[in-house]
Amino acid sequence: MVVKVSNLVKRYGDLIALDHLSFSIKEGEIFGLLGPNGSGKTTAINCILALLKYDKGEIEVFGEPMTPESYHIKQDIGIVMQNVAVYNELTVYENIDYFCGLYIKDKALKKKYVEEAIEFVDLGEYRNFRPKKLSGGLLRRLNIACGIAHKPKLIILDEPTVAVDPQSRNRILEGIKELNSNGATVIYTSHYMEEVEQICSRIMIIDKGKAIATGTKEELKAMISLGEKITVESYDVSEQQLARLRELPNIVSVEYNEPLIVIKSSKGKNNLENVLEFIKKENIQFGKIYSELPTLNDVFLEITGKELRD
Amino acid sequence: MFVHIFANRLRCLLRDRETMFWTFMFPLALALFFYMSLSNVGKGEAFQEIDVAVVNDSWYQENQFFRTALEEASRGDDRLFNLTLATGEEARKLLDDGKIKGYIIAGDPPQLIVNESGIYQSIIKSFLDNYTQTFRAVEKVLENDPRIYQEVFDSLGNRKNYVKEAPAAGGKPDNLVYYFYTLIAMACMYGSFFGMREATDIQADITPLAARINIAPVHKLKAFLSSTCAALLIHLSEMMILLAFIRYVLNIDFGPRAGYVLLTTVIGSITGVFFGAFVSAVVKKSEGIKVGILIGVTMIGSCLAGMMYIDMKYIILSKNLPFLYWTNPVNLLSDAFYCLYYFDNLNRYALNIGALSCITVLFCALTYLFIRRRKYASL
Repeated sequence: MVVKVSNLVKRYGDLIALDHLSFSIKEGEIFGLLGPNGSGKTTAINCILALLKYDKGEIEVFGEPMTPESYHIKQDIGIVMQNVAVYNELTVYENIDYFCGLYIKDKALKKKYVEEAIEFVDLGEYRNFRPKKLSGGLLRRLNIACGIAHKPKLIILDEPTVAVDPQSRNRILEGIKELNSNGATVIYTSHYMEEVEQICSRIMIIDKGKAIATGTKEELKAMISLGEKITVESYDVSEQQLARLRELPNIVSVEYNEPLIVIKSSKGKNNLENVLEFIKKENIQFGKIYSELPTLNDVFLEITGKELRD
Repeated sequence: MFVHIFANRLRCLLRDRETMFWTFMFPLALALFFYMSLSNVGKGEAFQEIDVAVVNDSWYQENQFFRTALEEASRGDDRLFNLTLATGEEARKLLDDGKIKGYIIAGDPPQLIVNESGIYQSIIKSFLDNYTQTFRAVEKVLENDPRIYQEVFDSLGNRKNYVKEAPAAGGKPDNLVYYFYTLIAMACMYGSFFGMREATDIQADITPLAARINIAPVHKLKAFLSSTCAALLIHLSEMMILLAFIRYVLNIDFGPRAGYVLLTTVIGSITGVFFGAFVSAVVKKSEGIKVGILIGVTMIGSCLAGMMYIDMKYIILSKNLPFLYWTNPVNLLSDAFYCLYYFDNLNRYALNIGALSCITVLFCALTYLFIRRRKYASL
């Protein structure tokens, strides 16, 4: 195991930030920590990094207990903070060189790594720029370069795409996949379920400091009863028709917020076909109709009773 | 690793315009301002020769003692009078036109004619009274032994002042230098801006940058000391430039003990840097509040040390507030410079430096206690 967290408890006074949190991360994984803001993701990361005291539990990294003095373990960890952490007085090159130099003593090797990091985040033409001259997206890329330049075996990215434009976001996500394919184990925290679904091989959903579900995205979706969500656009439907719709096989719920009818069904065959037949039989006028498989938000909703973005 | 952190820190701090302004440009500008505003202070107090006339009548011409006394007082660079010989009418006109402060009619005793009373008129009057007293004394001596006439006459011209103001350490007496000493002391304390940055950038619960340093495989205190050395080097260089500017450009004398002056500046610089580190480590507020505390403490300290009013430190002592006197680094530093300039022994200087060193050690120890934490309760 690259990381093993057992029964981690962290309290801030009466508030329990982490409530007996346990998980393990295998080598080569992109492990996603998904949860709403304030769910305990960053707290868990800070505990793993031995920055934060915790009340109870054990943390092992690369098979050894993680302490502030575990310099040989820290040597193989790269961290990309939620907040951009670079020196405003140093240029892009100098910032990456400085942070890489804290890990790599060999000057020639350091220079090579710094150049590779600049190339990796595509900041070549900005190498002599100071951070204040960079846009938000470029700044995030610099933040990433500072965290990964020394080629760590374990990379922790704490919400690296917050306030980033879609183009930069895609570039960052592709970069993370590339780092992983080069052999790095990745811990990725986010409250954006699409990102986590896109890149993570295993996901832990966390809420109020508790792990509420862990697995691949397929395993997580299989945990819930929702099989399909059908949405129909219509201005012409009566309460009686909605009541009859609810009586169809496998239908779990029907909600109507004009003009959208949202029909949720449990796992089963021909759900969409049954709905289409009902609409035709009832002669309901409709615009568009589409069907979606459950998302991680549906998983979160079904388990916690609230939306991930609440 | 030391060189890596040290070199990058030098680069960072040298490019930090705001800190460089307060620690370097501001003291230089203030020194220049002090020089321009204080250079005229002494001139107002300088003695101006008194324009006076004497009625050139037969009495005056025949009275050798009186004539010699007036001519001697009106000769040379340090003369008392600008003497004009005139007739009675001319003297009256000169007085009415305001061209002289008064005129003298020789006689026994001589008379002084003035239009108004004032300091200059009092000086002329004192001179005449002094002459009359001396003349009477000489007259009496010669009555008893007329043979010593020449001896008495010569001795009158050889009056000497046996008291002269001079600092024991060898500098010229000049109270104004003390203002520059308080300025140097204040500049030393402005090193606190550097110290504040160093302590801030190493505490993970204050900045994400510090968290990143804490996560790196570098001992936290080694990183802090490496970067603090860079801060000290920059601040010491700034202080040396300030000293050179004040000494060689503004021509402000520091006395003959240049080595001790440098030593005092070095200790002051260390005190300033660690004062900033201490404030940053202890005060868990925003950077703006910390800067406010640093500026406030330094300015109040400078004021109490006599930067605005030179006798302030004596007032503090006379009000039985020795605590304020001995715990104010600005006062201890400026008084140490003052001792080096004025005193022939180093006892009081040693007391100042001893107290300052104790304060510095206290700042260092408390800073260490606060920043040594390697794990935080919250971030």
